[in-house]
Amino acid sequence: MDVGYLAQYVMNGLMLGMMYALVAVGFTLFFGVLDVIKFSHGDVLTVGAFAGLATYLGLDLLGISSPVVLVLCVLSVSALCMALLGALIARYLVLPLRSAPPLNTLLITLMLGTVLRESVRLFYPQGANPKPFPALLPTDSVTMGNFNLRLDNVMMLFAGTIVIVGVHLLLTRTKLGLAIRAVAQDEETAKTMGINFKLIVLITFGLGSALAAFAGIMNGLYYNEINFGMGLLLGVIGFSSAIVGGLGNIYGAILGGFLFAALQTVGAVAMPFASAYKDVFAFGVIILIMAWRPTGLIREKVSERV
Amino acid sequence: MSGTLTVEGIYTAYDKANVLEDVSLEAEKGKITCLLGSNGSGKSTLIRSILGLTPPNQGRIGFAGTTLTGLPTHKVIATGIACIPEGRKVFPKLTVEENLRLGGYQESSPAVITERLDKVYETFPRLRERKDQLAGTMSGGEQAMVSIGRGLMSAPKLLLIDEPSLGLSPLLVKENFNIIRGINELGITIFLVEQNVHQTLAIADFGYVLTKGRVVASGTPEKLSKTTEVHQAYFG
Repeated sequence: MDVGYLAQYVMNGLMLGMMYALVAVGFTLFFGVLDVIKFSHGDVLTVGAFAGLATYLGLDLLGISSPVVLVLCVLSVSALCMALLGALIARYLVLPLRSAPPLNTLLITLMLGTVLRESVRLFYPQGANPKPFPALLPTDSVTMGNFNLRLDNVMMLFAGTIVIVGVHLLLTRTKLGLAIRAVAQDEETAKTMGINFKLIVLITFGLGSALAAFAGIMNGLYYNEINFGMGLLLGVIGFSSAIVGGLGNIYGAILGGFLFAALQTVGAVAMPFASAYKDVFAFGVIILIMAWRPTGLIREKVSERV
Repeated sequence: MSGTLTVEGIYTAYDKANVLEDVSLEAEKGKITCLLGSNGSGKSTLIRSILGLTPPNQGRIGFAGTTLTGLPTHKVIATGIACIPEGRKVFPKLTVEENLRLGGYQESSPAVITERLDKVYETFPRLRERKDQLAGTMSGGEQAMVSIGRGLMSAPKLLLIDEPSLGLSPLLVKENFNIIRGINELGITIFLVEQNVHQTLAIADFGYVLTKGRVVASGTPEKLSKTTEVHQAYFG
């Protein structure tokens, strides 16, 4: 195969993998601290992307045109709003259901996801139609043979890497991260260490949801378009990635995200069937891996509740 | 009295069945108070009630002028209480030092934390050697050291100790009781829950006996070692 094409596929795969990894890390964080699956995660991503778009349109009306200001505002408003939304979901829907069977949490967040999705469709102006997402990053590109390297993609990959490394450092090097890991391992003992359990849960849900917002903006910038249903598939992919990597383990989630993107890419270009089957291929392989290693590639804890 | 733990007529239930019924006791400031009882007598439930993990439905628990009943666990801890839980409960996938740091979670000054870490490492030199090892990969005796050290990291006024001898060899049990006495000599009030009657009474200043969720006897170790309730509590 031509080296240029190959580089192009690898680049596209990395972009998708980064988005999936960001979503999967959220799933794995929530499962870590509370042993629950929050199914509305993908739709939080959608709301985050639309919040970003609305922020852009608002700033545009105000006449602000500096790309740096625009990008920073879009990202921070979206991330902050989704962090707040995630914390609210944890506070009013997930924590009160702790004494109920875990299936209820799964169901209620599934329903919430539908509410969020439909709300975007019905209440965002012409929300049923796909929305063009502004190209906020410089779109210069370098062409090398069949490989077209775009500056905005490089910037997004770089930013995504920084975010993931940042989450890693937060979890491993800070007192907050230590508390999150303690709660994930043993909730009761963590409480007896003097950790405010509820606060840690809210922060963790806020953090995971901010990551989803980031992934949503990235998705918009990559495809130059967002729509109310975008979070549905991204949520399922993120969830599968988290499971196949080993639910509860953030490195597993990152690995799972990139693995899924790699499978999609292979399915699209290297298989003897049409590229439309790439998701069928990717999910099929994921199912096989799950049959082979039910607890994930990097085993964290047995997901007996799923 | 400030610094004294008082439990007044508490009832604690899991799923409506009372485990503790009308339990009243006191752990006097600066002393070692023990609670003896066999398996299933409700000893651990009492610790959980004090910590707010399984709050009592009735009665009052107070410490150092604060009512603990109704407080979330982290606020109970903030009054100066620490716990060495049953089965040690170290965080298996955290390093020894991370475990210890969690013990001092509510202390915000890094300098104070470093000072306390040093003190724990002085007491247990083994832990300094192994500070970067995952606690779950250590032996039972070493985990006991982590658990005790962690309990001291908050410089507590009151230390709740739940069955320290469980699962340890006789030699380690003896060592553990010596350590508990040493901690008490630092001025820390101790409330010790145990099944091991003789070793416990040897270090305690005052004791209670719990049977089927009720306090059936109390007194000095001399008095308790002679009472029939102690024997009945264990041998029925």
